[in-house]
Amino acid sequence: MAVTKEIMETTLTNKLQPIYLNVLDTSGGCGTSFAVEIVSSQFDGKRSLDRHRMVNSALAEELKRIHALSLKMTRTPQQWNEQQAQESRGATN
Amino acid sequence: MAGAMAHQILQRALRLQSASSASGVRVLYGLSGQKRFSTIGEDPDTHSDFQAVNKAPKDVPSARELVEKDIKNNHIMLYMKGVPAAPRCGFSALAVKVLQEYDVPFSARNILEDQELKESIKSFSNWPTFPQIFIKGEFVGGSDIILNMHQSGELKETLKDLLPLNK
Repeated sequence: MAVTKEIMETTLTNKLQPIYLNVLDTSGGCGTSFAVEIVSSQFDGKRSLDRHRMVNSALAEELKRIHALSLKMTRTPQQWNEQQAQESRGATN
Repeated sequence: MAGAMAHQILQRALRLQSASSASGVRVLYGLSGQKRFSTIGEDPDTHSDFQAVNKAPKDVPSARELVEKDIKNNHIMLYMKGVPAAPRCGFSALAVKVLQEYDVPFSARNILEDQELKESIKSFSNWPTFPQIFIKGEFVGGSDIILNMHQSGELKETLKDLLPLNK
């Protein structure tokens, strides 16, 4: 079965309970490469590498079937809120 | 040439017709159905050439040693697809570009050339994809992480003591 955006989203939601998740199929619908943005409190206190390992671990099955995975963002809720506040400040300038 | 091809065809035919019995003995049948040879553990009549060969596990010691040596001898070690002058993948190209921004010497290996090495590195760092960047002997991450570190200034900090004095 091909990996779809929905499968990626379901797996990530189940395993990491994110408060924000954005999965993009970057292979033009082929289901072979994805970009992920994810915000989860499970990332608290973990450095980038470990967060990426957690996502890789959650997607262990899917990773066997896709060519590429790009983790564009792996933030904690706090970092996410700060970033959003920053962006809205920026937008009004 | 014809002889070699015939040999290949025979090999393929033998493989297709192999069957394993309940006891785990592998018996191969030739094209005309006669038993060609079998592999049985302690059969003194079986030539060692025909005995089962255990394929080396994914983490081949020699390849692993190479990785350990690579990251020990090079401050920055990049395992990538292709070579810095000609990356074979967008993510590898990105990793090269980022590292080149810092004008620090780095070593790179093309994992497309060696499947065994590729698997060894994956199990060494417990990371499924390439490129893989090691700095000062430690696995740092892939292209996403190195780009992030570059954008946040963290990479400059990490490479501080490796940068040329005039930077």
